[in-house]
Amino acid sequence: MEEQLKNDFEKSFKNSNFSSKSISLKKEFLNKFIKDGLPNKSLENWKFSDINQIIKKEIGDLSFYNDISTPNKIDSAIYLNGLEQNSIVFINGRAEKIDFQFEEKNKIEILDDFELNNNYSEINSLIDLNSAFVEKSFKILIKENYSLKKPLVIYHYTNKKIKSKNINLRLNFILEKNSSLKLIDVLNDISEKNFINTFYSFKLNQDAILKNYKIDNKNNNNIKYSFTNIEHEKNSLSETFIVSSGSNFNKNEINCNLNGKYASAFINGIFSLNKKKHHEIRTSVNHLTELTKSYQLIKSVLENEARAVYQGKIYVNSEAQKTDGYQLSKAVLLDETTEFNAKPELEIYADDVKCSHGSASGSLNENSIFYLMSRGLNYKEAKELLIKGFLLDVVEKITDSEIKNLIKNIVGLKE
Amino acid sequence: MLKINNLKAKVEEKSILNGFTLNINPGEVHAIMGPNGSGKSTLSNILSGKKGYDVSGEILFENSDLFSLETEERAHKGIFLAFQYPLEIPGVNTSVFLKTSLNAIRKARGEKELDALEFLKLVKQKSKDLKFDEEKLNRQLNVGFSGGEKKKNEILQMSILNPKLSILDETDSGLDIDALKIVANGVNSLRRKNNAFLIITHYQRLLDYIKPDHVHVLMNGKIIKSGGPELALELEKKGYESFS
Amino acid sequence: MKIDSSQISREKEIEKLKKYKYGFSTEIENIKAPKGLSEEVIKFISNMKKEPQWLLDWRLKAYNRLKALKEPDWQKPKYPKIDYQDLYYYSAPKSFKEKPKSLDDLDPKLLETYKKLGIPLQEQKRLNNIAVDAVFDSVSVATTFKDKLTEKGIIFCSISEAIQKHPELVKKYLGSVIPLTDHFFATLNSAVFTDGSFVYVPPGVRCPMELSTYFRINASDTGQFERTLIIADKGSYVSYLEGCTAPMRDENQLHAANVELVALDDAEIKYSTVQNWYPGDKDGKGGIYNFVTKRGLCKGKNSKISWTQVETGSAITWKYPSCILKGDNSIGEFYSIAITNNHQKADTGTKMIHIGKNTRSKIISKGISAGFSDMTYRGLVDIAAKANNSRNYTQCDSLLMGNKCGAHTVPYIKNKNSESNLAHEATTSKISEEQLHYCQQRGLNSEEAVGLIVNGFCKEVLQQLPMEFAVEAQKLVGISLEGSVG
Repeated sequence: MEEQLKNDFEKSFKNSNFSSKSISLKKEFLNKFIKDGLPNKSLENWKFSDINQIIKKEIGDLSFYNDISTPNKIDSAIYLNGLEQNSIVFINGRAEKIDFQFEEKNKIEILDDFELNNNYSEINSLIDLNSAFVEKSFKILIKENYSLKKPLVIYHYTNKKIKSKNINLRLNFILEKNSSLKLIDVLNDISEKNFINTFYSFKLNQDAILKNYKIDNKNNNNIKYSFTNIEHEKNSLSETFIVSSGSNFNKNEINCNLNGKYASAFINGIFSLNKKKHHEIRTSVNHLTELTKSYQLIKSVLENEARAVYQGKIYVNSEAQKTDGYQLSKAVLLDETTEFNAKPELEIYADDVKCSHGSASGSLNENSIFYLMSRGLNYKEAKELLIKGFLLDVVEKITDSEIKNLIKNIVGLKE
Repeated sequence: MLKINNLKAKVEEKSILNGFTLNINPGEVHAIMGPNGSGKSTLSNILSGKKGYDVSGEILFENSDLFSLETEERAHKGIFLAFQYPLEIPGVNTSVFLKTSLNAIRKARGEKELDALEFLKLVKQKSKDLKFDEEKLNRQLNVGFSGGEKKKNEILQMSILNPKLSILDETDSGLDIDALKIVANGVNSLRRKNNAFLIITHYQRLLDYIKPDHVHVLMNGKIIKSGGPELALELEKKGYESFS
Repeated sequence: MKIDSSQISREKEIEKLKKYKYGFSTEIENIKAPKGLSEEVIKFISNMKKEPQWLLDWRLKAYNRLKALKEPDWQKPKYPKIDYQDLYYYSAPKSFKEKPKSLDDLDPKLLETYKKLGIPLQEQKRLNNIAVDAVFDSVSVATTFKDKLTEKGIIFCSISEAIQKHPELVKKYLGSVIPLTDHFFATLNSAVFTDGSFVYVPPGVRCPMELSTYFRINASDTGQFERTLIIADKGSYVSYLEGCTAPMRDENQLHAANVELVALDDAEIKYSTVQNWYPGDKDGKGGIYNFVTKRGLCKGKNSKISWTQVETGSAITWKYPSCILKGDNSIGEFYSIAITNNHQKADTGTKMIHIGKNTRSKIISKGISAGFSDMTYRGLVDIAAKANNSRNYTQCDSLLMGNKCGAHTVPYIKNKNSESNLAHEATTSKISEEQLHYCQQRGLNSEEAVGLIVNGFCKEVLQQLPMEFAVEAQKLVGISLEGSVG
């Protein structure tokens, strides 16, 4: 792979606009990635999902060069219906459209700037891969006291033109004091056998509010990894909701640093998996000062050789007194070919805290099925109703009612 | 027995008691009545030795300086506080707690500790006197007890520990009339020439069943009026407003 | 304005109490193997113990395997590198060169030692109805109540004696639960184990008394590597207790025991530990490294293995008493109290491996950390694809005292069977000021109050201990936390 990486790197950046300083920094990341390789199961965080093996098996050799010189036509069918929205469209990793039509122009700044730094390099080698190969890194800044009038939808679309490619995306959001953003990520792929590596970073200043809905529900044969870092200042709030269902493999990692008092982070999600799919959500919520709060609820429904993994960690340092941390994962295994793995972890260094976690997995309650059948439903209907109820419980946690309804529609939970 | 002289207390720079003075002699029952926020609970907390208050003035209990004594040392000397909100202690059996507590006090006083049988006999008798459900003695301390059960449990503890000065902090709140009578009967049956009671309450209701010798009105951290039982009735009629 | 005289006298009292109760060492002449680890030392040990060739071969196989193994490094507590060549692997009181025939032949100083420890070695203490096998440094010194047990066909002796007298049993089961190659410390133990206890309960026999082993490390620079093997044959029952102490020494001493349990059809083994090795001083100097491998195999159907542990000692405790639930309908249980204070570190928990159908497991873990200590619960529940209708319930509660210590919960949960149910719950909390004040108002001092509340917190586990141990364990819980509240 080393030679391929070096050649593809040369090809990608020989005529680029990057400064020589940036190129040399990118080279450092490349070399680091070459040294470490793709993460494998010998690393604690990848114990349950060996992405090195998965890429080898599902894709084989990856190509890291991605020609973004020619624009792609946007098929209007990809847009979410019935939602007034701002949008950013990526096709095969190329930004085709950035449109904030509903917003005041001077309240949002979009900078095409590159802030490569080593801050995230320790996390894993995929971040280095991203830093080395990403072509454009967008920085989107929401001005003080401004709340976006409509949600921003980011479409991650791929078509048949690409195969066995690695695509790297990077977005960096800064929410100034008392601003707010609703962001929906829609994953939609026609392509096959690509590895898509996305890196988001959010900086929430005082009183800022971020709501991020990540929707992966269209069946596809791609391998995806996404890392999201959220920095919280005083009294800021983030709500992350993940629908993990469509891709062949998808691992979402969410890291929240609660740096300011009264900051809170909510992470909820559902896995709805079948057909040998293997998905993971790994969260790590770091309570770094007093009076912060976090809440996580993840539910899974698995059938047909599907495998779901939830690794959730709550970390509380010795200053973070009066922390309130909660975490729960529940899984329903519909047949004996499925597997659910969980590692709910608490690491606590402060004594005046309220932290708890729970995890449960098993079959649907036969008594409930029997009860529903005694009311006239057949077995299949009874089962479906119970599953719906099981998942709805999480979807109901979405605080934005318009988006809640949209997601209910998308995942087929509309009552 | 208890002499409180010009007691002042602050929490985080906020004054709660502003020169509180009170004398209680053996055999007396005093009632302190006051509206919310007048400093009632602060008074019981300070008497029992709870930390977190910035205090000045003087409190003498049987001529020794209360401030120099730890909470448990005050308990050893015979001060008992019936808590407004008795704490739940999971996993600790109620009768084990009572026995540990009684023997800690007896030991501090140089008395013989009770063995399991002696204790059982005592606790059975007292439970019967107070109509306290014996089954609860084997449950975890206050865990899953109703408000009334918790308060009755406080009175049971009081009767077993046999204190010199009992402070009842809003023991009547949250009690139905039957429980109130049980609590009052418990207190009345414990009245002796050599012990005293300090009843802290918002309402006059409890004083229908426990006749106080002295009634004090507490407002803004000091006693603004003292009198006999008739003062409680006057308060009930006119409200705290008329005293301010 | 608060008078501090009471505070000062209390601090003095605490200082006194802090001194490890079991911190004495006995002047007894020892025979030691040469320092270090080598084929020669292993041969020396095997020779001293007059072992058969097959066992020596087994040991040497382990030793060769050991050369290829690395010490694990994934556990949370890190420890300074141990120089395995600077340890003594065999230390025996000289008077044992010819093994004593009866208690009367024992070195009186040794009996004195056990008396100080409160171990009822003399048979006149029959009232306690506990049969004791005492291990002093590396060798088993005496086993009590032998006759009564022999009547029932129960074998309870040192493993050295079992190797001589019951080689067929030892050969069949030794290493059958913890394979020779399992991991560094288990393999090290297989190469150099010196003594330990052996129990065999024949079919249908209910062992009439608690069996107990008391371990004590006395000689300095000695690693203690004992090996325990307990076999409960079909339909039998046995309850086994293990207690440990070590004298105060500045340098760290290594303790790497292996314990293997085998329960056949319908058999039940209850294994309880109260571990109170020397924890080091209040600055974290000295103390025992307790790196122990304990594993039980529910081999037969309807079998049951239950581990109960109270871990209050050692500088570093690192152990995961586990159950392999192979037989259908078998049950595994793990009840644990772990307390760390000052600079102690513990990384402990269990593994429940569900292989058979209808298997059940239950994990109740209570961790308490105070001072500058660090505590980790680490556990694995693994339900295999064919383990239909299996159940696990896990509850991990942590209590922190102060903000210089840490409490961590790291459960690994793997479920491959749709008919099985797993539930895990964990909480972290502290003792509230209000609870303390309430208890103090009832006349308890702060130490007593903390002891009472912590014992309440641990109740579910303490209830699992046999009566004789429960009282001792309760006291230990209180003692371990002394000085941790201000």
